Amino acid sequence: MKTVSSLLDDHWYERYKQISKLNIRSSIYDVTDRCNLRCKGCFFFSSGEHERASEENDVNKWHAFVDKEMDRGVNLAILIGGEPTLCLDRIEAFYKRLPTFCATNGLIKVPRDRFPDMMVGLSLWGDEEDEKALRGKDTFKITSANYAGDPHAYYLYTITPKQLGKTGKIIQKIEDIGLKVHMQLLSNDEGVAGFSWKPEELMDVRAEMDAMLDAYPKTVISSKYYHKIITTGQMLDRTFGWMECPSVTELIDKRDPRPKRLTNFIRWASDLKTVHRCCTSETRDCSTCKDGAAHMSWVMVNKRAHMRSTEDLQNWIEVYEMFAKLYQFIPW
Amino acid sequence: MNVDISQTIIRIAEIIINELKLEDVTPQTFDPDLDLVDEVGVDSMDLATIALVLRDEYGIRIDEDDYPKLTTVRIIAEYINTKLADDE
Repeated sequence: MKTVSSLLDDHWYERYKQISKLNIRSSIYDVTDRCNLRCKGCFFFSSGEHERASEENDVNKWHAFVDKEMDRGVNLAILIGGEPTLCLDRIEAFYKRLPTFCATNGLIKVPRDRFPDMMVGLSLWGDEEDEKALRGKDTFKITSANYAGDPHAYYLYTITPKQLGKTGKIIQKIEDIGLKVHMQLLSNDEGVAGFSWKPEELMDVRAEMDAMLDAYPKTVISSKYYHKIITTGQMLDRTFGWMECPSVTELIDKRDPRPKRLTNFIRWASDLKTVHRCCTSETRDCSTCKDGAAHMSWVMVNKRAHMRSTEDLQNWIEVYEMFAKLYQFIPW
Repeated sequence: MNVDISQTIIRIAEIIINELKLEDVTPQTFDPDLDLVDEVGVDSMDLATIALVLRDEYGIRIDEDDYPKLTTVRIIAEYINTKLADDE
């Protein structure tokens, strides 16, 4: 029988043991239906998710809701859409109780006296030209001023076809202000004219992501195996899709056979009652979905499938470490 | 009922081998002291699956809070035998 220690040398085995018992149980929460930007390609608005539920305005109900989520075993709250920082009291209901990650466009600075170590993910859609085309303004100018040197903030840089050949310049700017960056992809389903992928471009972006990781190893939080998975949709001998996705809301998951999935995962709407299908847009075609969290979770929940060789298990460890760093379970 | 621990160990090893589809090992050759997480690569979903089978097999409920303690086949066997004795 193949065991973990039979596949790894001492160095890799220590790395494995650092993450093997983390037992991360995340769920995703829409904090509000509103945003102070309206970006082309934002799945929350393009798929009408902002109209699915009326947000709960009583902050006491948010506090009670988070208590119930903790009773359900959730130990990582991922706060997303619309723009969470419009509702800091609701964020606080999570932050006071459990490890919390807040995805934001960064235009409103999270007050660090109130949220000293909350992990913040700053969305970035490209260089100045593409930011203006997609979001109406160059947000980097504002977010870099708000968060320069912040040890608990990093950029979530969405790579589009138009960014090929330009990513190095942006990542250098991120490094210069002392932040980290994680790269992700825009899904074609969002239908933004001029920003859709062609297969050959996905091969090019994989090469560019790999090159950025090599060039900026202390700034880019990623792994080459993750680049391969997200650009090809292939893991081991399997293809990503509805019957493989680990990030389907548990309450509605009737798949048979049920794939390996995130334990107790739910994506809640901001009324605290409605649930969404999965971690991203319900209108998205799963076979072409490029959601980064779904793909890294796909790797993470399939640990034993990666125990077929030393290289496979090392790849699994690197992806798990990447996730654990992005959500502050282990240091950068 | 005083259940022989070695019988329980063999049966639990058999369940784990079947549920996880482990290769090149039998219930008799499965090391009962092998760490299931650190060595076999078991994760929380695997443990939940195994717990359901054990519940049906032995008629006991395994609390989710106890999962982190159930690190080897021998410890699981002792846990089950204790539960069975408590139920008598």
